[in-house]
Order: sequence, then structure tokens, then C-alpha cells
Amino acid sequence: MRSPKFLHLVAKEVRELSASRSFWLLLLFVGLLVGHGFITAVALYAEMSGSGGPAALPQGLNSLDGVIVPTWGAYDLAATLLFPFVAIRLISAEKESGALKLLLQLPGTMLSKLAAKGLVLLLAWLIAWLPGIAAIVLWRSYGGHVYGPETLNLLLGHLLRGLLSGALGVAAAALTDVAASAAILTLAFTVGTWALDFIAAGRGGFVQQLASYTPTAALRSFEQGLLRLNALLVIVLLSVAAFVLAAIWLQTGRTIRARLLATLLLVIVAAGAVWGAASLRRSWDLSENRRNSFSAQDEATLRQINQPLKITVFLSPEDPRLTDFEQNVLRRLRRTLGKLDVEYAASSRTGLFESGDDHYGEIWYELGGQKVVERSTIEEVVLDQIYQLAGLSTPERSADDGFPGYPLAVQPKRAAAIFYFVWPLLVIITWWLANKR
Amino acid sequence: MVLLNVEGLTKQFGARRVLSDVSFSVGSGEVLGLIGPNGAGKTTVLECLAGLLPSNLSLTNRKDVLFYMPDGILPWAQQTVSWVLTFFEKLYRRAPEKLAELVGPLRLEEVKRARLTTLSKGERKRVLLALALLTPHPLLLLDEPFDGLDLRQTRDVMALLKAESATGRTLLVSIHQLNDAARVCDRLILLNAGECVAEGTLAELQAQANLTDGGLEEIFLALT
Repeated sequence: MRSPKFLHLVAKEVRELSASRSFWLLLLFVGLLVGHGFITAVALYAEMSGSGGPAALPQGLNSLDGVIVPTWGAYDLAATLLFPFVAIRLISAEKESGALKLLLQLPGTMLSKLAAKGLVLLLAWLIAWLPGIAAIVLWRSYGGHVYGPETLNLLLGHLLRGLLSGALGVAAAALTDVAASAAILTLAFTVGTWALDFIAAGRGGFVQQLASYTPTAALRSFEQGLLRLNALLVIVLLSVAAFVLAAIWLQTGRTIRARLLATLLLVIVAAGAVWGAASLRRSWDLSENRRNSFSAQDEATLRQINQPLKITVFLSPEDPRLTDFEQNVLRRLRRTLGKLDVEYAASSRTGLFESGDDHYGEIWYELGGQKVVERSTIEEVVLDQIYQLAGLSTPERSADDGFPGYPLAVQPKRAAAIFYFVWPLLVIITWWLANKR
Repeated sequence: MVLLNVEGLTKQFGARRVLSDVSFSVGSGEVLGLIGPNGAGKTTVLECLAGLLPSNLSLTNRKDVLFYMPDGILPWAQQTVSWVLTFFEKLYRRAPEKLAELVGPLRLEEVKRARLTTLSKGERKRVLLALALLTPHPLLLLDEPFDGLDLRQTRDVMALLKAESATGRTLLVSIHQLNDAARVCDRLILLNAGECVAEGTLAELQAQANLTDGGLEEIFLALT
């Protein structure tokens, strides 16, 4: 990878990237989107931090949810709708111009040539982060609080999001003849993952597990300060598989049959690796307010339970109680308990037309042959039920969760000038200098 | 010495057979011309040899032995001529003198700073020829190397190719201009409808066509 020939290929890709209008448009638009997100988020944060609202609200405020995640949300949009076109252009331009016929004959394997493209795409994505980094720096300059581990975790999530998006763009461009078809394929994949997200909500089982690895769902856990080893590995594996798929289909000298067989082999190997990675349960709660964890006392008590716990939920996907239960209880239980089986038993999507016989609203807990029925989705109530079933006593709980909250009523000074004037000007000048030959 | 031996090359696109049992060999240091009417299969032969199209041919060390320069491509169109040439020079670790030797005869000096997309057809062709000649492979496959060149440029490029072959490099060129083919090639292969209908020097082809004299055009008409 550090051979001079590889470095020449990387240099070529950098030149091609700087000649690509899609890259410069990405930079231009991402700055505007980040700016809009940042200015809106800071103003809203100031409103919530000021007097007049519920007294407890400012104490619960944190910068990650209030400012950084909404600001960096621009990158989710960019990774979905802009960045794939930068990736597609790097492949399609060479296919359409005939340069691919030369590229295939140049020294090095197809994978090494795609690795050069991948590296440059990663570089492009990191350059596009400059407005996002500027927003964090600006927030710090206002006196805003930034907690390092959860912020870095969020950046890791966006890095993986970009990697997967770029890899899918490369694979789509390799599979199709022209850039327009590749764009349609990439957008179809994105819409498909959105549909999967919607269908899987509150369904449980394989579909829900599959949906937890869609780009949006995987990013969501990073946004909540949770680093899931399985999500990280699955995204990396899928990205690598997309690059290998591209390498298979760009080798025009192989028969379609040979390429289909290689694709089948890739699918089998990738599916096995993804299945293995998905079974890893290790995760780290990097949020400052420990939102993904129970209190240390509760976690210690729960870890004493060795028998499998089965939870049957009679709440429909669109019932807000299920959302509460997922966010505050199930997500944390999955991280803490080794053996947990959750069944979603509601038969309708909204719960409006469930009959009384369907036990709608109930949540059943089964442990060691015993079963209790509960309707509450409040964390303490649920934990007490589980402790009762397990024959454990409720641990002492502190009323103070140790999170001070970081209210800050400040206006987004200089932000509009930076994101709406300086950044676009900088992009245009750099584009002009890079392409002035 | 035989550098490349092609035996029974056959190629189909779906149900359409475009090459049928094409066989020939190329000797070291010779200029072998592939001639034939449009659709005869000249480009397909070259792309199969280069490994860009699947075929029944299996060549070992293809990447080390041969380099194919297609016709009608415009690679890295937004880059300058100078950069594209330097990219190949560095990638293949060629001495800077090699590039300097090519820039003069191919008249690239005046377009060195221009982007490829702004070049005329003839200028593009000369850049592609320079790229091909910058590669170190013993066998070069050139598709229509004189297409788009004017009379003077064609003569210059022919002289350059002859000089290249005199250094021991082998050239397999597909040409549809028969007069050009007769002037530059040591030996010729006449392809028609995907079949090799004749092979040899001009004199040998005349004999095969039962002509006592006459140029390649007469031979072509007699044999196809």
C-alpha cells in the first residue's frame, strides 16, 4: 500500500477528485446545511436554557443532543444525497471515458486501485467535515460544553456512515454502465433502508435486528453516545464487501458467469462475517449522562441474573409507550443482561383497534418459570418486577444521577457570516485555484 | 522469435459470433497489421488479447508482456497533457529522456499545458500514442494509431513506430487505412467477418490473391 506505484494511483485519484464538480458542490452545500443546523440548534438551546420554561429542563440539557447532533445531522443528509455522487463520479467517469481500459492494465490489482479510490473518498469526506468541526469550535468559543468521548463517538459514527455511503456508490457505479443508473441504484438502496426502518419498528426478531444495521439506525446509536462493536464491525464489513463487489464487476475480462460466481462467494463470506459480527454484544456507553446504562447499582444487581429473561410486549409500533420502553428500558437491558428474549406481540400497527382479549398494553416478564404482568414502562417499576422474579432485593438508588446539565443562553454570533459567506467563498476560491491550470 | 501465439481465438456476443477460430503469431520486433473492413473483428481481437473482454484465450503474464491502447477514448479528460504523460512516466518508472524523445515527434510541446478535453481528435490520438510508447511492455497493441492524424503527422508517427520496432519492440496494429498499413507493417493479417482470411507479407498476400502486382486495396477486394 505504501509502494510508489500505489502512491501514484492515490495522487491520480486526488487530481480526479479535485476536477470533480460533485465534490465541490458537496463542500458548498454541506457548509450551508451545517450552518443552518448549527444556528437553529444554538438558538433553540438558548431558548430552553433561559428562564420561563420548566425548572428541571435546563438541568437536563446537554450539548450533544442540543447542538452537536442536530448540527452534524447535515452529514447524514450529505452522506445520503450528496456523497454517493462523489463516489459514483470516481468510477463512472473512467468507465464512460474509456480510462477504465487503461486502468485495468496499469500495475497493481483491481483491489489496490479501488483502495486508492477509497482512500481519496475518505479524504473527501474528512474535508467535508471542516464546517462541522468549525461548528464545534464555535460552540466551545461561546462557552458551550463539549464532552470528548461522546463527541468523538459521534464523529466515528459519521465516519462509518460516509465510508458505507461511499462504498455503496462505488459498488453501484461498478455494477451499472452510466452514472445516472448508479445514482438510481444508490437512491433505491437508501429508500429501501428507510422502508426497512419503518417496517421493523417495534417488530422484534430478525427484521428488527437487520434494521438496526441500516445506516440511519446505526448512526442513531452513535448519536446517543453508544459505541456498539457489532454496528461498527458490520458497517466496516459491508463497506469492504461493497468495494470487493466493485472489484469483481470492474474486471471486464472475466465472463458474466465467473463474476456471478465470485459475487455469490462474496455474499456467502460477507453474510457469514456479518452474522458473526452481529452476534457480538460488547458495547460502550460513552455518553456523559450515561443515558444508555442503568445506574451502577442496578447494573451490578442485574448482572447477578443468570437465567434467561423473556419479555413479551403487547404494545404496537406506533404507541409512544413502546418508544419509551425501548429507549429507557429495553436498550439498557440488552446491554446488561446476557440472555434476554423480547417478543413484540401486538397484532396491529397503531394499537387503536386491538380488542381487550389481546392483552393490549400489557408487558409480561418470565424468568425461571415464573411470570408477572405489568403495564408500566417506567424504569424503576420494571426493574423492581425483574428483581422480584429473580428473588433479588432492590439496590439503594441515589436520587442524583451525577449529571449537572449544561444550560447556555447564547446567540450564534459570527456563525451566519462563517457558514453562509466565508465558507462558500473559501470553497469557490479553492476550486478555482485547484482547477486553474 | 515468436512473442505471442494466438490459437483458435473465438468470441461471441450473445448468439452473435464475432470471431471464429482466429490464429496467428507475432514475432519479436515486427510490426504486424490487422486489417479488414468495419465489423471484421479487429478491435475485438485486440481487446481479447488485452484481457478486457472475456475469451477462450489464456495468456500468462499478460500485464507484463503487452499493453493495449484503445481507439476513441478520452481518459482523465480534465487533466493536462503534461500531467497525464508524467503520470505514466512515473508509474512505469521511465527515464525522463523517454518522454522527451516522444514529445518532439508527436508535436506535444504546444499542447502540454492544455486539458485533454480541449484537444482536437488528432492531438488526443498523439497523446494516447505517447502514453502507449511510454509503457515498457515488449508488445504494444494499437487500435487505429493513424485515425485522426493528417498526412504529415501520419508520416511522423509511422517513422516513430518503425524506430520503436527497430529497438526490438513488437507492434500489433489495427488499421483500416490500407495504404497506411502497407507502408508501416512488416506482415499483415486480413480479417473478414471474424475470420482470418489471409496472413503474410504484401508479396505473400498478392500470391494468395493470385495477383502479380497491385496494392493492398486490390488484395483486400480480391480476398473479401
